Amino acid sequence: MVDRNGSTDIQFAIIGSAGDGTIAAGDILKRAMAGLGYKVIAFDIYPAEIRGFGKCISRVRVTTEQAYSLKRHSDVLVSLDDSYAIPHVGEVCDYGAVIYEASPIARLPEGAHITAHIRPTQLPYGLNQREISERATSAARSRNIVILGYLAGLYGIDPQAFRDVIAAKFERKAAIVTTSNTTAFDAAYEVGRTVFKLDQGSLGEPAPAKSGETATMMTGNGAIVRGCIDAGLDTFFGYPITPATTILERLAAELPRHGGRVLQTEDEISAISATIGAGYAGARAATATSGPGLALMAEMLGLGVMGEIPSVVFVSQRGGPSTGMPTKTEQSDLNMAVFGGAGDAQRIVLAPTNVDGCYRTAGKAFEMAEKYQTPVIVLLDLYLSNRYETVVPPAKNPFAPDLNKGLEAWRGDGDYQRYQQTEDHVSPRALPGEDGGMHTVTGLEHSELGKPSDLPENHMAMSAKRHEKLKAALTHPDFTICKRFGDEGPIDVGILGWGSTFGEILEAMFAAQAEGIRCSAMKVVMLSPLPEEQIAAFMDDCDAVLLPELNYEGQLANLISGALGRPLTRLNRATGAPMQVEEILAEVRRLARAKAA
Amino acid sequence: MAEATHNVIIGNGSAGNGAAITLRERDPDSRITIITMSSLPFYNRYDLPRVFRGCHDWREILVHPPEYYDDNRITLRRNSRVIDVDGRSRTITFAHNEVMHYDQLLVCAGGRGYLPEELSDYYHLMHGFHSFESAMITHDALPQGGTLLMLGGDMIGLDLARTLIDVGYRVVLLANEYTFWPHRIEPEERDGFLAALERMGLEVVDGMHPVAIEEGAAGKPARRVLFDDGSDVDGDVVMPFYGLMPTAEFMLGSGVDIERGLLVNPQLQSTDPRIWAAGDVCQIWSEADKEYRFYYGWTNVRQMGEVAARNVTGASEDFKGVGDERLHVGKDGYIQSPFWEY
Repeated sequence: MVDRNGSTDIQFAIIGSAGDGTIAAGDILKRAMAGLGYKVIAFDIYPAEIRGFGKCISRVRVTTEQAYSLKRHSDVLVSLDDSYAIPHVGEVCDYGAVIYEASPIARLPEGAHITAHIRPTQLPYGLNQREISERATSAARSRNIVILGYLAGLYGIDPQAFRDVIAAKFERKAAIVTTSNTTAFDAAYEVGRTVFKLDQGSLGEPAPAKSGETATMMTGNGAIVRGCIDAGLDTFFGYPITPATTILERLAAELPRHGGRVLQTEDEISAISATIGAGYAGARAATATSGPGLALMAEMLGLGVMGEIPSVVFVSQRGGPSTGMPTKTEQSDLNMAVFGGAGDAQRIVLAPTNVDGCYRTAGKAFEMAEKYQTPVIVLLDLYLSNRYETVVPPAKNPFAPDLNKGLEAWRGDGDYQRYQQTEDHVSPRALPGEDGGMHTVTGLEHSELGKPSDLPENHMAMSAKRHEKLKAALTHPDFTICKRFGDEGPIDVGILGWGSTFGEILEAMFAAQAEGIRCSAMKVVMLSPLPEEQIAAFMDDCDAVLLPELNYEGQLANLISGALGRPLTRLNRATGAPMQVEEILAEVRRLARAKAA
Repeated sequence: MAEATHNVIIGNGSAGNGAAITLRERDPDSRITIITMSSLPFYNRYDLPRVFRGCHDWREILVHPPEYYDDNRITLRRNSRVIDVDGRSRTITFAHNEVMHYDQLLVCAGGRGYLPEELSDYYHLMHGFHSFESAMITHDALPQGGTLLMLGGDMIGLDLARTLIDVGYRVVLLANEYTFWPHRIEPEERDGFLAALERMGLEVVDGMHPVAIEEGAAGKPARRVLFDDGSDVDGDVVMPFYGLMPTAEFMLGSGVDIERGLLVNPQLQSTDPRIWAAGDVCQIWSEADKEYRFYYGWTNVRQMGEVAARNVTGASEDFKGVGDERLHVGKDGYIQSPFWEY
């Protein structure tokens, strides 16, 4: 976990039952480590069922160098509940540590204690979690804090960083809560500090922060919220659905302080209708949902396309179809985002690949919605929405406040032509009530005046207008629609990717390069319109192209194959879990070997 | 299909591991579980002096690589302390409250350092040498070239002493009746053996009776041992080496006969036909001596484990023990012991 250069790469997995404070412990751990200057990627898994039990896992990867994904194998597993942790002992790497309750109260049948499952290559650390907690706080509920103290002591991590986070976490509660938890932490810290260490006991020093930069921890959904606020979001309409709910919750708390409004609607149809209505009225408006909600929104999105009304829809994908697997991740709503709805209803579809990208994409989505007068769908997924990363917020707001092509641009004669054919295919847009801007907006095909028209040549021209205007988005200022990483020039294996999977793709690419395979990766952020030129140029350089994605059908692979007619190798996983770096790497190796043969 | 026989071995030392691999060879289908209180896989405690020769990674003293256990389908339960064995229900209870069933039980729990009652109050001021962890802690406490005050000086301690002297430490041996344990030294031999120790570089203090241990005064070595005549001696570390006592408390409720160790017949079977014992934990009936006696040293212990395992799997073989157990002085003038051979 600490290499010869002193760089640190250690992943913790805390596993317990709902109610054990598993997620809270992971939250404190990641915030403390980020506060110390380490780079952190974290992801929590919790049960779908709303009841007081079920498996919770908090995985936290701490590095001194930039990392892009969680690792398949954790370096440290902490069990707060052996019945849930035992199936995960195998994920601990060789010479990784397993920390567990050494003195359970209940009598256990053979095999029910985690020591029965720790492999000889793993390092067992028994800890009297309950006893330390009870001694410090007269209750067992601080076991999650106890394990943090033990970890800090065991790995020589500055305890003050934890104490600060604990104090901040409980600042709204009675002072005794902070005091007792800190006492439990300190008691366990001393145990961890003095226990005999079976392996390297301390972490490398984090890289010093660049001047003026302050890193902070954020989830993908948190970054979306921050991006919305910095982009000047006026109104947000939402209906709760996992894993998008936290966008609604956090905006409800924060947006009013920035002069905006949030309304929880009665359902998703209402949410998208209100969003388009607000966009029609000139507001920056958005909604957030998941796959099932997007399905309900399909018809109104068609209205947004036909009416050329700006709106932004954040879609955090989860396992589908139907209710599917609400707390599992998947990338299977790409087809619906790109194609869902009646008619030729192209819209802009964006998919950030990391938390920082969520922030930038959220803000840019509003710019694009306004500039190109269209709905913009931002595709997230559960893994990205809930994943924590350390990010450095930009020093100044990077988003343009208003890109509406307003009424003042109207230079024509006669009645106002809301849908005037222009050189860039974007028409002037009058807002309701603007003098001289009276026009009709309808879901029916319409003329430049907005009046219903089903003339064949009109429908052809308007269809062309609605599609052609979106091409400009491929060169939208200060926005990365796709980007190549790794080796330049001819390469053995190129990896195309989108969304949260791209972190694993990058890690696999670096590993492949380390093995001598000439390897590059390209992330595709703009999925509609598709940056065909750039993708084709990338594929031209590759002897083989691999496209890993978290769906069964290979939705992006189908999209690219259909657009470019080029062969590519698919790697599809629909397990509800993030793609494994090792899976991608194995496929890269196979393709490289096939090329060599 | 019948469930495989579950052979459980308590103890992960030479006896336990010798038994385990013998069981595997003779009964390929059985389940084998080794239980140990240690965090580490099997290492040879006779190798522990290597800690003072710079071996600070426990991986370097493992007898087998960790994969050995998986390769031989042996389940290793580390950090697991047995607190009770019930011979009637054939169950083992762990300190962590888990209950395990066995079909055949081999107790190879070894022994732990004996500490006379009058020194037990000073336990916290002494350093141990019973495990890799304790050896490392002792190493870290002993400054380079520093002084070890060795109480007693059994053959385990003297093995450490010769290493320490070889690498530049000072060893002061506070000799008493436990010196040279487990060898039985005739009174007329004693002075000769102590002289041999001095030739080896130990400083021998004989006939003094320690009554207390204190922390050293400021500016002085970390420890001070006080004698009953009011005199004292300073050192950096104090280590007791008073021989071993069997680790058999957890067997008290098992129903088998126990004296100091588990009493077993020459086939190493206890009074419960499903419970066997090997190593420092057991007293074996000696027809020649007409008494139950201990056998020490790596060669004896390893052989006991193997014999017990063969008998568990149907053989009827007596444990013989190594022939020559005498301490002697070699041509170099230094003491030599068969217990140091492995």
